Amino acid sequence: MTGLAENPFFVLGATPAASRLELEREAQKLLGMLELGFAAAKTYETPLGPRERTAELVRAAIAALRDPYQRLVAELWARHAPPPRAAGLEPEPEPASPRVSLWPKPEARSPKPL
Amino acid sequence: MADTPLYVGIDLGTTNSAAAVFDGEQVSVVRNAQGATVTPSVVRVDKQGRVTVGTRARRFIEHDPANTATEFKRLMGTANGIEFPAAGATKKPEQLSAEILRALRQDIADQLGVAIERAVISVPALFELPQSAATSEAARLAGFARVELLQEPIASALAAGWRADDDGAGTWLVFDLGGGTFDASLLETRDGLLRVVGHDGDNFLGGRDFDWAITEHLASQLAVVPQRSNPAHAPALRALRLAAEDAKIELSRGERAQVALAQPLSIDGTDVEVDLELARATVERLCVPLVDRALDVCVRLMTANGLGPGRLAKIVLVGGPTVMPMVRARVAARLEAAIAEGHDPMTLVAQGAALYAATAGLDGRAPAAAPATGHQVWLQYPAVSADLTPHVVGKFVGADAPARVKLARSDGGWTSADASVAEDGTFLATVTLLPRRACTFEIICLAKAGERVPVSPPSLTIVQGLTIGDPPLSRTIGVALANGHVQVYLERGAPLPARRTFTHHTVETIAKGSRDSVLRIPIVQGELAQAHLCRLVGTLDLVGDTVKDTVPTGSPVEVTIELDRGGRLNARALVPAIDQVFEHVAHLLVPDAEPDALDAALRELRGQLAALRTDAFRHGLGQVIEKLDRLEARLAEAEADIDAAHGGDADAAQRARRALIDVDATMAEADLARKWPELDAAARQVAITASSTVGFHGTDAERSLLQEVLAAIDKARKDKDAAELERQMRLAQRLSSAAFNRTPEAWEWYFEDAASEVSKARDLPRAQRLVTDGKAAIGRGDTDELRRVVKALWQLLPDDSEARKRGFDSGVR
Repeated sequence: MTGLAENPFFVLGATPAASRLELEREAQKLLGMLELGFAAAKTYETPLGPRERTAELVRAAIAALRDPYQRLVAELWARHAPPPRAAGLEPEPEPASPRVSLWPKPEARSPKPL
Repeated sequence: MADTPLYVGIDLGTTNSAAAVFDGEQVSVVRNAQGATVTPSVVRVDKQGRVTVGTRARRFIEHDPANTATEFKRLMGTANGIEFPAAGATKKPEQLSAEILRALRQDIADQLGVAIERAVISVPALFELPQSAATSEAARLAGFARVELLQEPIASALAAGWRADDDGAGTWLVFDLGGGTFDASLLETRDGLLRVVGHDGDNFLGGRDFDWAITEHLASQLAVVPQRSNPAHAPALRALRLAAEDAKIELSRGERAQVALAQPLSIDGTDVEVDLELARATVERLCVPLVDRALDVCVRLMTANGLGPGRLAKIVLVGGPTVMPMVRARVAARLEAAIAEGHDPMTLVAQGAALYAATAGLDGRAPAAAPATGHQVWLQYPAVSADLTPHVVGKFVGADAPARVKLARSDGGWTSADASVAEDGTFLATVTLLPRRACTFEIICLAKAGERVPVSPPSLTIVQGLTIGDPPLSRTIGVALANGHVQVYLERGAPLPARRTFTHHTVETIAKGSRDSVLRIPIVQGELAQAHLCRLVGTLDLVGDTVKDTVPTGSPVEVTIELDRGGRLNARALVPAIDQVFEHVAHLLVPDAEPDALDAALRELRGQLAALRTDAFRHGLGQVIEKLDRLEARLAEAEADIDAAHGGDADAAQRARRALIDVDATMAEADLARKWPELDAAARQVAITASSTVGFHGTDAERSLLQEVLAAIDKARKDKDAAELERQMRLAQRLSSAAFNRTPEAWEWYFEDAASEVSKARDLPRAQRLVTDGKAAIGRGDTDELRRVVKALWQLLPDDSEARKRGFDSGVR
C-alpha cells in the first residue's frame, strides 16, 4: 500500500494501461539511467509534487507490478489520483502514535471515532 | 572462447554438490575427475593433514568416520568446529564447504581451461543471514573473488523454465526434495518473465529422513538393536545408514536389494552380522508418510493461491529422493498433474544458478585488463532479456564525446538508427534481439563530421531468454524495539538489493567514555510482529567509549539496513546529535544447541501446548486443534532429534533447535486464534472507526481502498483466519490514521492521551514543561508546535522492562 508518493506507476513514469512488457522495459531503462547518473531519471512526478527516484524504488515498483493483486491496488490509486504537481511538496501523512498498539493489548487505544 | 561469456552456477548441497556453466546459449553440467556430474559433499582430512573431497572421501565414511565429515552444510553459520583427530585439526563448517567449492572450481578449470573467479552459489530458501554469510565466506576461502547467492527453488525454477514453452504454460510447481530440506514453489512464466507465485517448505524434511527411516527399520531387525541416543552405537548406525542409502538407490531400479556388511557391527561388545534383504515395497511403505508430508505442504501452498488438484500445468521434480519411482507416482497422483520429463533432478539447481549468473551479468572469468583504446563508455543493459527490444543506456567518460552512436548486430541482420549523444555524454538506444540467442552488438561511434572513432569496449552481448526479477528477500527483516515489537524494514518478498532507513529514538542515555554504557539495536528476521518470536541475526552496538559525546535519552538515531542481491546484511546507525555513524554489525552465529537446554525448551513447549489444547477444546476451535496436532507431531520429531543430540549428533541438535523455534512461533499464531472472540470484536471496532474517519476525512483513493480492506476483513472473519485478520486490521488502521491525522483534532487527542500518563515519564520536569507548552499551543491553535510537543512527549513515556527484554534489550523505540 504505497499510496500516492511511491505509487509504482508514478515511480516508473508509466500509465496504469501500460503492458507488463512496457513496464519491464521502462524499469530496465530507468535502472540503467540511474546507474549512469542521467539527470532526467533522478526525479518523478506525483500529485504531491516531484519526488526523488532511486534504484531501490524502481526495483520495488516493478516487483509490485509483477504481482497481479499489488498491480490492481496501484492502478486504483493511480486512476483516482489528482494530476501530478510540478512543485510544492506536501508533507507525507504523519504516522500513528507509536504508543497506540492495535491488538491484543485491550488497554491500547485506537484513534478516537469521530 | 575468449569472447564467449562463461556463467557459472554451483549447487552446494547437503549431500551432493554440482557445478554448471552457461555460455549464453547452452547450459552444460561440469563433470568431476571421476566423470560424474555430482560430487558428494564429503571431506576427509588424513593424519598428514591432506584433504580429500567428494567420492574419494565418501569411501572413508564407514572405515574412518572420525576423520570424514558429511552434512556440514547444516552446521553453516554455527560455532561448531568439526574435529579431525588424526591430523589434530579442527575446521569450521565454512572451511569444509570451501574445500568442496575449491574442488568444483578445479573441475571447471580442468574441463574448460578457464580459471573461474565469479559464480552464483545456491542456498536453501530459508537460510538465515549467518548461514548465508558463512556460505559467502566459504566461497572467499575457495578463491572466488565475487559470488552471488541464489535461493535454490528459484534456481531450479529458472532451469526448468528456461526451455519451457511460454505459450499457455500456466502455473507449475517445483517439488524440491533435497538431502535435508523440502521446498515447494509455484511459478508462472508470462511474456518471458518467470514469476514465483508462492513458496512454502519444510526445513526439516529431506532425503536423510528417508535414510533414517530405512536405517531404523534395518536396525530393528538386528540381534542387538543400536540406539541413536547412545553415542557408543554411532559407528554401527553410521555403517547401517550408508548401506540403507545404497539400498534405496538400488531399489529405484530393482524390486529387491541385499543389505550385507563385510564386517560385523560391534554393538555393546557383541559382534552382530548384517545380512538382510530389503524389498522396494518395504522402503516405499517406510517413506510414504514422509512423501505425504511433503505433499501436504504442496496442497497447502496451492490452496493458499486458490489452486485445487488438477490445476497445475506440470510438476518439476528436483533432488535425489525424487528419483524414486514411488515418489514420482505419488506426487503425480495426489496433485493430478504430469511430471515434466527431461530435467535432471540432481543438477537442475546448478543449471539454474548458471542461468542466473547470466541474468546478473556475472561472467565467471576474471575481467580482462585489455588496454582501453579510443573513447571510454560506461554501458548499462540487461545481460539476459525476455524483451526482444531492450534499451541500452551509455555514458561517455571525459570531454569530447562522439556525436552519435549506433549498434550493429554481429550477424549483420540488424543495425540501429543513430542515437544522439547528449551534452553530458549520455545516450539511449534500443536493440533488436534474436529469440533464444546470445546476440553481440558492435558499438559504432561517429564524430561530428561523421567519421568513425574507436570506442572501448567495442561490443556488448545480450542473451534473449527467460528472466527472473530481482531475487526476493526470503524472510522479513527489521529492528526489535524496546516495546518488544518489530519495526519492519524490508518485507519478505522485497526485491534485492534493497535499502531502507527509519528514525528511532534512544530509550536510555549513552554515557561518553563508559564501556558499560551500551545501546543495542537488535536486527531480527521473522514474520511475526513480536520480537521474541523472530530470530536475532545481528546487533548494532553504540558503546559509550566510542561515542564522541554523551547521547541523551530520546535522541534520534537514523538506522539504515541494506541487503545485497545475495541477502548479505549491512547496517549503520547515524546519531545526528553528535554527527557520528556506527557501522560495525556484530553478525551473530546461529546459537549453540545444548541438549539439556533443548530438553528444557521441549518441556516448556509441551506445557504450553497442553494449555492451548485444553482451551481450544473448551471453545470448540477445530482449526486450532488441527494446528496443535501438527505441532504435537513436530515436537515428537524434535524429541527424537534431541535424543540423537544427546548421542553427540550436532546436526540433529541444530534441527531440534530450529524445530522448537518454529513450534514456538506457530504456537503464537495458534494462541492468536484462541483469542478469536477478542480479536473479532477488535476487528469490528477497527472497521467502524476506519469507515467513520476515512468516510469523513479520507481521499477518494483511500475510500476505494478501504472498501477492499473491509471486504478482506469480512472474509478473514468468515474464515476465522486470525493472522490475515490482524494484517487487514493493520491496513484499515493505517488508512484510518492517515485520514484522522488530517483533522485538526487529531494532535489534540494524541496530546491529551500522552499528557494523561505524564506522571510515568522518564524526565518528569521536562515532560511537565512539554505539557505546559502543549496547552499553550492548543490555545494559540498552533498545530505544528503541538505536533512537536506530542512527539517529544512520546519519547519520554516508558516501555515496560519485560517488553524490552522480549525485544532483545533493544535501546530504541
